[in-house]
Parts: sequence; structure tokens; C-alpha cells
Amino acid sequence: MNNSLIIGQYVPGNSLIHRLDPRTKITVIFFFVFIVFFANNVVSYSILTLFAIACIVTSRVPIRFIAKGLTPVWFLIIFTFILHLIVTKEGTVLLEILGFKIYSGGVIQGFAISMRFFLLILVTSLLTLTTTPIEITDAIEEMLHPLKKLKFPVHELALMMSISLRFIPTLMQETEKISKAQASRGVDFKTGPIKERIKAIVPLLIPLFISAFKRAEELAMAMEARGYQGGEGRTKLRELKIEKRDMLIFVLFVFVIAGLFYFRSW
Amino acid sequence: MDITFTNVSYIYQRNTPFAHQAIKDLNFHIPSGSFVAIVGHTGSGKSTLLQHLNGLVTPSEGEVKIGEYKLTPKEKPTNLKELRSRVGVVFQYPEHQLFEETVAKDIAFGPENFGVPKETINERIKRVIPAVGLSEDMLERSPFDLSGGQMRRVAIAGVLAINPDVLVLDEPTAGLDPRGQKEIMEMFNTMHKEQGLTTILVTHSMEDALKYADHVIILNKGTKYMEGSPEEVFTQKDALKQVQLDVPEVIQLLNAFEDKFSISIPFHGQTVQEIAETIHSIVKDGVSNE
Repeated sequence: MNNSLIIGQYVPGNSLIHRLDPRTKITVIFFFVFIVFFANNVVSYSILTLFAIACIVTSRVPIRFIAKGLTPVWFLIIFTFILHLIVTKEGTVLLEILGFKIYSGGVIQGFAISMRFFLLILVTSLLTLTTTPIEITDAIEEMLHPLKKLKFPVHELALMMSISLRFIPTLMQETEKISKAQASRGVDFKTGPIKERIKAIVPLLIPLFISAFKRAEELAMAMEARGYQGGEGRTKLRELKIEKRDMLIFVLFVFVIAGLFYFRSW
Repeated sequence: MDITFTNVSYIYQRNTPFAHQAIKDLNFHIPSGSFVAIVGHTGSGKSTLLQHLNGLVTPSEGEVKIGEYKLTPKEKPTNLKELRSRVGVVFQYPEHQLFEETVAKDIAFGPENFGVPKETINERIKRVIPAVGLSEDMLERSPFDLSGGQMRRVAIAGVLAINPDVLVLDEPTAGLDPRGQKEIMEMFNTMHKEQGLTTILVTHSMEDALKYADHVIILNKGTKYMEGSPEEVFTQKDALKQVQLDVPEVIQLLNAFEDKFSISIPFHGQTVQEIAETIHSIVKDGVSNE
């Protein structure tokens, strides 16, 4: 149904990027998101773009997956570009269309901001493309571990995350099934005035909620029946371990940051 | 309504890496008023086929004709709603589609969408409630307070209240207890006969297919594997085995009898009782001969 959005669509593989510790990936991406905002000239942008491209190439994720995932955001990127083109009034006037003056500052600004956007989405979607949802939640649980001292329910939070991720496809299937059943009872989801169409959602939402609640209850019961009692004393099947390759990536990334700050104009 | 499939193919998520062909070059004809069973293993394309019948999907290739409505890759009937009011579908686990506050409202939901006047709807509710084996004092209760079996019946009543000419049933008895299964199948059979419906039953149960259908279509991996009367289809033990389908128990009995006694009893739709009598007379003859 909604396969155009790849966020959360893992592409199995065995590349360096796939095998990295998820904590490494999350940390690097976390800082990447920050430093993207420090890039402000051609060289600094090139460093970041090169880094992103290098990651994509080593991940060996087919380009068409990445391109497909970007389709819904293209609009946003282009929209940002056009907005800056119109709003920014700096630099020299390049050309004039229908009374709108396009300034050179606007072009540069628009390009820079859309580039930022593009890089952010590229790198974050690379995380979900190369990391299974379970790895991500495991990593988050590990990384939030220190918060346990403050009585923060880290394990429960991670469990909630993995359960909700697990049930997204189930819910999608269910939505499709129920909407088909209601369509054959004469509900029209696709045409008609907006008011009617909003009303048409009720017969879809109620059964969806009911089955979600029922499923939650059943899951809770099944977990209890198997002796689940929180993270206390639980051992793990998958142990996260920082390896040489993770250190290598960290070192490389530090160079990227250093290069960025060296070459950016102050 | 006559239903004709001509070279129908359906591909899910076409032009993506996830493309999957569910139906391949399917041809068949279902004459008006017949009771057809569609049998096949999981993933044989049964559910996809069924969705063509009321325009939930349009074929990727070929043509589907349902009465005067025509579905092709390029054109969908403009009056899709009208088609849906004439082809009622009972989906798998139909109780999942219930949502109204009361049973009566839920049954009325379909006909209301198709613009049936209020008085007619009330008449229809009065008619379908006993037909599905519920009592009228349930009408004002919430469907969510009912048992699973009762919910199933309410959902079926909701489809019957649309008053369709064609009834499509997707494993309507899955998950019910044996008695409920029998009651529901008997009810559909009575409806089929009394109202002259065209009934299409998708099922895993060879027994049901043998008992109720007058025509059987067997699907395998999206293509038609066999087609014919239940007697013709179900006596071909080896062909069925190849697609992991069982022979109905009655025929299994005849086969086992032939193996043990080397006497073949031809099958022409006898009941268990009749076969027992045939065997009885054979055995008796055998004894008296000695």
C-alpha cells in the first residue's frame, strides 16, 4: 500500500555499513545532523556530501531504493528552494520574472538549505535501510542505559518501541483489509465531498482500534504466560559489541568534522 | 448475473521490486444461478480473484465481466457502487468489519450506503436476522458484546441486507465450531436455492465444496488447475495430490474400499448413508456367495 516511504524498510545486506554496531551508526548520524548546519561554503558542503556518498556506496543499497524513499521528500526540498528564491533579497539581481526579482543570494541560500535537507534525509534513511528495527531499539536501550540510575524506565521504553515497530505492517494490512470490506459495503473512500470522505473514515478507524486493543491484550497475556517480567536479569541473544570497524568509522568521522570546521568560512 | 474471466492476470505492486503475480491468465465462466466452489492452497490467488468480483481491484491484463459490468485494465465501470450493491462479499473473518453501536445499525450500514429507503431496510433486517440464526432482541445490543460466532452472523447479515444477486463467500466458516460451520453453510445453501443467487464459495474444505457446489474450480499458483463438476474433480486423486489438496472423506472411503477389496464403487455424489448401503449389499452378496 504505502511502499513509497522507505523509512523503516530494511534492505538486507552484509556490507560494512550493515555490520557496524547500531550505536556507532546512531551516534555518527546524530552528530552528522548537527554539523550539517555548520557547513556554509562549497568546500564544507562537498566534504559532507562526499561522506554521505561514501556511506551509500559502501552500504551497497541499490540506488533505486534510496531514490524511491526520497520521492515523497522531493517536493519539500524543491519547495524550500523556491521559497528561498522568492523571499531572500540579498546580493545582485539575476533576473526578473513577472515582477519577482531573483537575487543571487536567494539562489545560493536556497541551494544551501535544500542541500542540507537532502543530506539529512539521505543519511537518516541510510540508517533505517541498513539497520533492522530491532537493532535500532537495542542500541537505543543500551545508549539510554545511564538514565536507569534516575529511575527512567529504559527497558520498557525500548520494548514499547520494538512492539510498535513490529506492528506497523500488521496495522497496514489490517487497514487495507477493513477498507476493502467497507468499500464492498458501499463506503466510498476515494470520491465525494471532503465532509463525506471524513465520515467514511469512521467505519475504518473503529474496527482498527478495536482489533489493536484486542491484539495488545492478547500479546500482554502471551508475554505473561511466558514469564515476562521486565528487563530484570534478562540475558540477550544479540550482544552489541564495538569492533575495530566501529573505531575506524569514528576516527574517519572525526576527520570529517575537523575538515568541515577547518574549511568552513567563519 | 453471469461472470466471465477472460485471460485475467493480476500483479501486485507492479513496476516495483516487490512486484508479485497473484493471478495468471485465468479463464472461466460462471453461469447465473450456479453455486461455484473455488478451491486452492494458501497463496493460490483465491482472495485476489474474489476481489475482482466487485471491483476492489481491476485486472492488470484481460477482462472481467460481471453481468453488464466490465472491468479491464483501462476502464472501471463508472457505477462501481451499483456493481457492489449487486455483488455482496463476505470476507474472511467478517466480524472485523463491525463498527456501529448496535447490531441493527451495523446491518443497516450497507443498504444505507446504497441508498435503500429506511422502511425497506427495516424489512430486510427483519428478514435476515432469523435467516442467520439470531433473535430480534439482539438488534439493540452492541455488536461487541456478542460472542465471536454471533458477531460473524451479524456481519453476514450485514452483507445479506444489501440484497445482492451474487454472493461471494471467502471461507465464511473459518474459526467457527463444527456446529456453527454446518449451520452457516446450510443457511447459505438455502438462500442460494430460495433466492436464485449466484454463489461463489472460496474454501479449504473439500467436504463443503463437494456437498454444496455444482461446479468446482481449482487454483494453483494463480492459474486454473482443474475445473468441472465436484464428482469429476474430486475423483482425480493423483492430480489433487500434486497440488497438496485432499480428496473429500467420502471419496477417500471409496478409494480405501477399492484398495482392500478390489471392488470399485463409482462415485456420483452419493451420501455417506447411500455408500454404506451399497457396501452393505456388496458384503452381503459376498457372504451369501460363499
